[in-house]
Parts: sequence; C-alpha cells; structure tokens
Amino acid sequence: MKVVGARLPRYDGVAHVTGRTQFVDDVRVYGMLWAKALRSPHHSALIRKLDTSKAEQMTGVHAVVTSRDVPKNVYGHLEALGIPADEPLLADGDVGYKGQPIALVAAESEEAAAAAAEAIEVEYEEREPLLDIRKAGDPDAPKIHQWGNWYPHFEAGLDRRQIRKGDIERAFADADRIVSGVYRPAAIEHVPMEPQTALVVPEASGRLTIYSCTQALYFSMGVVAAHLQWPLNKLKFVGGTVGGGFGGKVDTATETVSALLALKSGRPVKWRWTREEEFLCSSTRAPWHMEIADAVTSDGWILGRKMLTLHDAGAYARFSPYGLTKHSFHHTGAYTIPNLHFDGYVIFTNRVPTTAMRGFGVTSVSFATELHMTRIAHELGLDPFEVRLRNANRIGDTSPNGVVYTDPSTVPTILAIADAIGHELAADYRAMTRDPRQGELLPEHLLAQVGNPEDH
Amino acid sequence: MAKHRGRGISAIEYPTGMNQNGDPSQAWIKIKPDGRVDVFSGTSDIGNGSKTIQSQIVAETLGVPYDWITYDNSNTDSSPVCTGTFASRATFVAGNAVLKAARDAREKLLEIASKELEISPDDLDVVEGEVVARGAPQTKISVPEVAAAATWTHGVLITGTGAQLNPYAAIVEPETGKVDLPPHAAISYASCAAEVEVDDETGEVRVERLWQCFDVGRAINPTLVEGQIEGGAVMGLGLAVLEECYPYYPGVEHRGSEFGSYLPPGIENLPQIDTIVIENPSADGPYGAKGISEMANNPQPPAIAAAVFDAVGVWVTELPITPERVLRALERKERGEAGPRRDGKHVVFDEHLSVNSFAHASSPLRFALGA
Repeated sequence: MKVVGARLPRYDGVAHVTGRTQFVDDVRVYGMLWAKALRSPHHSALIRKLDTSKAEQMTGVHAVVTSRDVPKNVYGHLEALGIPADEPLLADGDVGYKGQPIALVAAESEEAAAAAAEAIEVEYEEREPLLDIRKAGDPDAPKIHQWGNWYPHFEAGLDRRQIRKGDIERAFADADRIVSGVYRPAAIEHVPMEPQTALVVPEASGRLTIYSCTQALYFSMGVVAAHLQWPLNKLKFVGGTVGGGFGGKVDTATETVSALLALKSGRPVKWRWTREEEFLCSSTRAPWHMEIADAVTSDGWILGRKMLTLHDAGAYARFSPYGLTKHSFHHTGAYTIPNLHFDGYVIFTNRVPTTAMRGFGVTSVSFATELHMTRIAHELGLDPFEVRLRNANRIGDTSPNGVVYTDPSTVPTILAIADAIGHELAADYRAMTRDPRQGELLPEHLLAQVGNPEDH
Repeated sequence: MAKHRGRGISAIEYPTGMNQNGDPSQAWIKIKPDGRVDVFSGTSDIGNGSKTIQSQIVAETLGVPYDWITYDNSNTDSSPVCTGTFASRATFVAGNAVLKAARDAREKLLEIASKELEISPDDLDVVEGEVVARGAPQTKISVPEVAAAATWTHGVLITGTGAQLNPYAAIVEPETGKVDLPPHAAISYASCAAEVEVDDETGEVRVERLWQCFDVGRAINPTLVEGQIEGGAVMGLGLAVLEECYPYYPGVEHRGSEFGSYLPPGIENLPQIDTIVIENPSADGPYGAKGISEMANNPQPPAIAAAVFDAVGVWVTELPITPERVLRALERKERGEAGPRRDGKHVVFDEHLSVNSFAHASSPLRFALGA
C-alpha cells in the first residue's frame, strides 16, 4: 500500500488557503433577489394577527411567504426513523422560541427585504415561557408543546429512553459506596465559517437549482422535496464544499423557504443569515443535565450505574430523540458496567431548538462519566488510571444494549497516555491488554457479562 | 493568592456511523480514455477532508497515482446518495462505498487488459498505473493504454459502482434498550491528559498541555487525522473553559450575538498538544479505518475539569469552567459547603444542582439516589 497511509496534500487545500474555494455566498446570478425573515421577538406567544399586505406593496418587494404558502409546513427530519413531526417550517398560529421565522420577504436588495419584513404587521399574545428543564414536570409548569413538556414517542409509547441491564438493586446493595454527582455541559454555537446560506435558481426547465451549504446533500434535498411535495428529479442540489458545519448544517435552515420565494417571484433568491442570526437563531448544541449514582467497591470496581438525563431540546424535537438514544447507548463510556438503570428525557423549552453537533449525544455523557470516574478514584483513594484500567471494556464484554465489544482499545489508549506523561503504573496494570478477561481479571460480578470463563 | 498547576485524565469511546445504522452511502466511478479516474460521491466536504480520504482509497484500490483522481461531490444530478457528513461516517461508511466502486471498476479494467494481454484477469495486478502479469513483470500494459483500448477498440465504458449500508438496528425491547443488531459500524477509542494552571484570585483556568491518544483503526492520511485530532482538541477546550450560548442558563439573557461577546477559542488559548495515533484496524472499515472526527472534541472537557480539581481542590461540574464558576466553587469550599454529603455508604456530590433541589415533589423528573 502506497497511497493509503501517505501524507498526501489535501485535495482542495491550496484553493482553501489561497481564497479560491467558492462559498455559497460567492455565487451570484443575474436577477437575484435577497431574502430577509420576520422572526419572533418572544420566547413563547400566540400569533393573533399576521398581515403582510403592506410589505407586499413596498418598492422592490417581489414575494412574501408565510406558513400558508408551504405545501407541507410541518415535516419531521427523522420521520423515517419513527420520530414524528412537530416543527413548522414557518410559524403557524404560535411561536415557541425567540428568533423563530414567521414570514420571509424577497426583494431587490437586502435593505429593501429587511424593511419589508419589519413592515409585516403581527399581533402577539405573550405566554409564560418554560426555560428550566428541571421544572418541566412541575404542576405549575407552563404547557408549551402539543405533546406535553417532553417527547412521548419512544418505542412502545414510552415517554423516556430506558436502558435496563442486570440487577441494579443487587449492585446497590452489594456496593461499599454509592457515589453520585450532577453534570451540566452548556449549549454552544457551531460557529461555522460560513453562516447558513442558500441560493435558489428557477430554471427554464421548471426545475430548481439549489446552491446549498448543507453538510448532507441528499438529506437536505429530501427535506425540501417533502415540504414542496415535489419529486427529487425536479431539484438539483449544488454544494459539496462548505465553510464548516459541525452538525448545524444538517438543519436545512435556508433552502426550503428560499425555494418558495423563488417559485413565487419567478426569480433567483438568496437568503444568507447574518452572523448575528447565526449566533441567536440557528440551533445550538444542547444543554444537558445528567445525574449519576455509581455503586462501587472499595477496591475500585463499578458494580452498577443509575443515571437520569434531561436533554434540553429547545422548542421542537428536531434530532433530539435520536441524540438522546445515542447518549443512552454510550452511558457506560469506555467501561463495562454490568448493572444499569438509565432514564433519559427529551424536554421541550422555549429556546432555539438544539440539534446535532460534533459528538452528538456522547460529548455530554463522556464529560459526565469521565469526571465521575475521577471523583470515584479520589473518593476511594485510588489511582485514576488504575480505576479506569480495571473497569475498561475488553474484547467479549457487552455494551449497555447487550452487544459484544469486538475491538475495544480502552486499555491501549490509557496505557499510551500513562507512558506519555510518565505516570507510574503497578506491574499488573502495565501488563493489561484489551484481550478477553480471564483468571484473576475476571471478577465475580462480571461473570454473567462475559459468559463462562471456561470458554476463554 | 497563587497560581496552581494540576493534571487530569479521561478515556472515551465513540461509534462510527449513525446510531442504529441504516444510513446508506453510494458512489460511482468512470475511467476516461487516458486512464484518468472520475469519482462521483455525494459526500459533502465540510472541511473534514473526505475528498482527500476518498480519493486516496480509490487510488489505492485501483492501483493508480493519487493525482489521477478527480473527485466530484458537487451536485445531486451526477452524484448518488450519501446520507451526509455527520456521525463520523465519511471515512468509514462513504469510504466503503468508494472502495467498493473502485473494486468494481478495477475488475472491469482487468477484463479489458486481459483481452489486450491475452492473460486471465486472475493473473493480473494493477501497480502504480500499470497492469502487470503476476510473476512476469515484463508483461504489462499501462492503465491509459487499457482505457484507450476500452474506448476505441472494444467500445466499452469502464465504470464501477459501490454502496455501503449497514442494516438498521431496531430496539426490540424498549424497556431495556436491547437491539437486534449491532447499532454502530465500529467504535473508536481515545485517552487524554490535561495540564492546567488555575489562578485562585481571578478564577481563570489556562490549559497548558494536552496529551491525546486516539485509536483510528488505520490512518488513511496521517496528516489529516492528526489535524482532526488537534482541531478537535481546540473545540474541546472551548467546551471546557470558554463557550456558552446562555451565560445565565437556564436564563436566556445576555446571549452573545457576535465574536467578542461569544468566545470560541482563539490562538492565544492554544495549549501545547501532543498527539499519539495508534492503529488497531477495524475488521470492516476501508483499509481498517474507523471514524474519529466527532470524538476529537470529547476527551478534553472531563480531563480539564479533573485537572482543575487537582489544582485547586474544587469540582466544577457545570461547563464551561469560567472564572466565575471557579471562584464560586472556591467560596463554597471556604464556607465548608463544597460537599459531598455523606450518609451511610452514600457519597452525594452537587446537591445544589440536582433536579431534586428544583423540581416539585410530585414531578416525575426526579432522581432516586437509592436502588
């Protein structure tokens, strides 16, 4: 093998560093209009009146669209995975977060479009927002979502994602200590180099060419086709290289509405978000609330884990049920814990919907479980490397879902870091491998995990 | 008032491909009359380097130089389905699609070469742009000559198609979370050590060093994977000590709306980063590769938070670890309120943050500490 494994130059690297890579916003076509949005100024409100007539009459304005112009306004990005739809493309009747788009204007300049968007008349009736996920189940909590304050559509009608494994009661009874803690990583912005941008060109053939900054061409094309109720062959997505995504460009934020404006005006339409819109109105990484109680022995075995996760989804579900499920599948981290009791909820709040971001669902649980691991080691007076190595998952162990690990590398990566920082380990830890547990390394509490030791 | 040094570690894992799978990627390849290769894939390159990686996989599999490859992911008319560039899947899932397409094209290339050389395709190999008879390296024909013969002599277009789809793993026991198939394509692993300096007067945490070890399965391009690991480290540093959309979460006041009021890491925040790449090949990744792109920002926050404890003796479990959070934690410690509460064998940290301190007694959203 010569090409694989070689330090070859990046395919498009020279174009990137010499400024020649074309961003979506670099594409300009003749007759192009600019779009601007009317967005909700409230976290939660009913829309009592929406009148676009003044805006439509303004100089340079070619089209205004509201929810009435969308053939299928409510579409779920993950309907195929059994996650039903709740989010309207354009607000219809009420708004669930500050910055939610209500109407879009296409005009001959961004200034004209912005002025017309401001001229749209709206009357709101403000409602009390729900913002603290810890209070979502209180009797006096505002009811903010059609499904209730948390997502109720997991398999078999469960209102939470559950993991159950082994005998958690016995693990807690057998433990020498039960160490619990609370972990709360923050919402953060994706901060892509290029904010959300689309240019939609109506072609003479009747097709739409959509220049998109999506990080998933076919996924976003499917979303536009679903909202428009069009077959895929009437759409051509052009993209391929974009200015960063980190998960936020899976949202298909600009393409569909720009397409509706292009169809209504018969002109190419570009909608490019300002950096301020990107910070305030684009989806974020979710804030998570995680509580862990681990049943441990004095010599550092983790017998069982009980965990509660509250995932702050913002106003709509988007990808959150998927993210929480992934989170639950990885809530033991790089270790084998035989007895588990996990409950996770996707909670709705009146903030910008959260979405995928680098490490979706797992970045949060890695933070919680790893800091907890260090706390356990400190509490027991043990070496944090050795507690990790002891519980590290090994070939033949099983995951929270009961799937056998075939190539875990927890042990080799920990040993490499111990070496790198010059951390001394006792000889039996230094000699550990990722191979199946056997002999003295197969503790009684893991027998059921790895089957009969005679087999190894 | 002093500056304190501390160290902390972490060990993590992360899956490749969409959780529960079911996420297809497809690719096709055509070979031009001079042997140059066009690859059509729907994988958006959002800066992750998938154009480079997939081109390397095709070049390796076909046996031609890297710079013979033209990679086109520009539009949905010419490129087939790729579910997307997320879930750490562009190397593993989409990479397997181009790998299969390249194998298919290679087979067709060898059929034409076989006719030209009058040697069975089974006895031919492609090495650096030449089709060579096994065991008789003088008997050969260049790939450009084969492509020309296909076009002008045999009237054949040399193409290849490939698709990768790991079947959807259904949750068959909703009460326990049991699945009927492995819910991921592969799992990657990493460990990290962080060294910080904490100023107990200002509360500022400065990350001085990060050591990171990633098992990448197989580094298709070591430079790119090191870049991904180092870039991820910077993002993880942002998560750990700098970034937050809602400075008063769960309140929504004072959201940063511009650079300067929202703080992503800048060049002045960068620590010294030591990267160790190890390769335990994945059984079914292209050339053994796994996907590590997302997890690259996962191991730093817990290692940094552990290092802060090592430095000043307080657990800050809300991110980011801002100066305010450090100072408030130090104050709690001084007042003897830092905990944990001990009750029998229970060791209870962070009660001031727990849902149980906020939720109404009748709320279903409470955490039962016991079994």
